[in-house]
Amino acid sequence: MLIKDVVCPFCGCLCDDLDVEVENGRIIRVDNACTLGSKTMVGDDRLKAPIRRDGKGWIETTYDAAIEEAAQILLDADRPLLYGWSRTHGEAQGIGVHLAELIGGVVDNTSTVCHGPSILAIQEVGHPGCTLGQVKNRADLIIYWGCNPIDAHPRHMSRYTTYATGFFVKDAHRDRKVIVVDTRRNESADVATEFVQVEPGGDYAVLSALRAIVRGRGDVVPPSVSGVSREQLVRVAEMCKNAKFGAIFFGLGLTMTAGKNKNVRNAIELTDELNRHTKFIISPMRGHGNVYGTNEVFTWITGYPYAVDFSRGIAFYNPGETTAIDILRRGECDACLVVASDPAAHFPKPCVEHLARIPVVQIDPHPNATTHICRLQIPGSVAGIDAAGTAYRMDGVPIRLKAIIETGVPNDTEILQRLYNRVREAKGE
Amino acid sequence: MKVMMNTGRTVPQGESVERKHSPEYESAASVCFIHPVDMMVLGIEDGAHIRLSGSGGSVVLTAVASETVEQGSVFVPLGPFSNHIVSGETHCTGMPDFKSTMVEIIPTEDPVPSVAELMEALGGVRYAH
Ligand code: SF4
Repeated sequence: MLIKDVVCPFCGCLCDDLDVEVENGRIIRVDNACTLGSKTMVGDDRLKAPIRRDGKGWIETTYDAAIEEAAQILLDADRPLLYGWSRTHGEAQGIGVHLAELIGGVVDNTSTVCHGPSILAIQEVGHPGCTLGQVKNRADLIIYWGCNPIDAHPRHMSRYTTYATGFFVKDAHRDRKVIVVDTRRNESADVATEFVQVEPGGDYAVLSALRAIVRGRGDVVPPSVSGVSREQLVRVAEMCKNAKFGAIFFGLGLTMTAGKNKNVRNAIELTDELNRHTKFIISPMRGHGNVYGTNEVFTWITGYPYAVDFSRGIAFYNPGETTAIDILRRGECDACLVVASDPAAHFPKPCVEHLARIPVVQIDPHPNATTHICRLQIPGSVAGIDAAGTAYRMDGVPIRLKAIIETGVPNDTEILQRLYNRVREAKGE
Repeated sequence: MKVMMNTGRTVPQGESVERKHSPEYESAASVCFIHPVDMMVLGIEDGAHIRLSGSGGSVVLTAVASETVEQGSVFVPLGPFSNHIVSGETHCTGMPDFKSTMVEIIPTEDPVPSVAELMEALGGVRYAH
C-alpha cells in the first residue's frame, strides 16, 4: 500500500511530502526523504519489551511491572529530573510537564543542549522570524551561519532555499544568493555564492563588524576581523542591503561557541539593523523533529520554554541553574526519567557519570547509549511511524504526524499517562 | 599538541544515530578529522589512533586527514566519544562548550573503545541487543 504525504519525524524540517510503501505492517520503501529520513523510517532496531537491569545483566519485564517500578523510583526521589522530549509528540510532552509538577521535579528538554542560548537571546531582544513558506516564496538572499544544512537538515536547501522555486523566485539558481559563514569549509559552503571563514570563537566580532558597516560606520572596522577581511565584510553587507528579502538561518556554531546567547543576540540585532534598509528575518535551525514542540508545550503550560523547576511548588526558570547539565554537574538530582532522547550520548562525561550513579528510567524504543546506564527501559511506539501526534516544525508550524503502521506497541502518551496516574494514586491525590 | 575541538553532525553519524549499537555508528562517531599538516607534526598516518584529552576527560579516536578543518583545530562528530572530552561547565548558560574545548592530542596504540565500553567504564551495565 502506498501512503502519500507522510511526515518525516527526524529533523526540524518535518518534510511532509514523503511517499511510503507499507507491506504486511512493515515499511518497505520510502521516496522523497533524504538518507537520514529514510533510515529513520525503515529502521527497526527496537526493544521488543521493557527491560530492567538485574545485577550484572538485563531481563525482560512487562509494561505493568515496568510502570510500577518507574513510579516507585520517582516517588522515592527528592529531586527528580525529567529530561528529553524532543523526539516524541506534543501530547506526551504535556503529560511529562504535569508529571514534573506532581512530583515537584525539574523538567528540561533537549533545547538545553542545542538552541537554549537562542531562546535566551530571543527573550532579550525578540525574534524577527517568519515561516519557511515565506522564505521559499520571497527570499533572494539566504545566509547559513554556523550550520551545515547539507549534513544536518539535508532537504532544507531543496525545499526552502538554494534549490527551491518560489512564487517570486522563479529560478532559484539565478535569483537566490547564498552566503555561508562558518569556521570550517563545510559541504554547504561548496554550493554558496560567498563563503566567509571565521576564526573559531570569532562570530561575535564578525557580527559586530557587519552591524557597524550596515550602520554606515565601516570606518571603525579594522582591516581584518577574526580572520575575515574588511573588503569581504563590506561586500557581504552590500549583498544584504541590496537584497529584497534576506533570511539568516543559524545553527549550533553560534550557540555552542564562546559568547553563546550573546552571539545569537548580536545576530538578531544585525537583522534588526538590516530591516532599516530592506526586509530581513532570522531563525534557528532546530535539530530534532519536535524540539520546537517541547518549547511550545512547556511554555503554554508553565510559561517557560525549558529548564522548569517545580520544587518550590510553582514553575521556576533560571537557565544556568535549573538546566539539566548544571543539575547533573552539581550532582543534584537523585533520579531521572529520560523520554525520547539519549543524554548518555549527548551530555558531557561528568554529567553522564552522575546519571550512572542514580536510578534512571528511560522511555524510548531504541537501545542507545543511555540504555547501558539506566535501570529500566520502556519502549513506546515512534511518533510519525506507529504513533500519531502533533509536532512543530522549526518555524513553529504545527504538523500532524501520522501513524502509518500498526504495531500494537503503546505510545508515549499512554505510557506516561499510566505512570502519571500511578504516581498520583500513590500520593493520594 | 594542543588544539581547539569542534563537534557537530555528519551524515554517516546521523544515519545510524538510532542504532547506536551498530558498527556503522561507532565508526562514524569515533573519528577525529585533523589537518594533514597537524598529522605530520604528530608523526601519524591516516587511520592512526590518537588520544584526545580535555577538561571533561579523555578518549581514543581514529585520526582522519581532512583539509576542511583548519590547522590547530579538529572536528569530532557529536556523540558519546566527543562528549568524553567536554566538561559540564556552562558559564551559567546551561550550555557546555561543545564547540570550543581545548584538547591535548597524543598518538597512542590503545584501541578505540565501543559505546558500551565507554558506558561500562562510567558504572553502566552493557546491554547486548
Ligand atoms: S530533511 Fe529532515 S525532515 Fe526532511 S526527510 Fe531529511 S531528515 Fe526527514
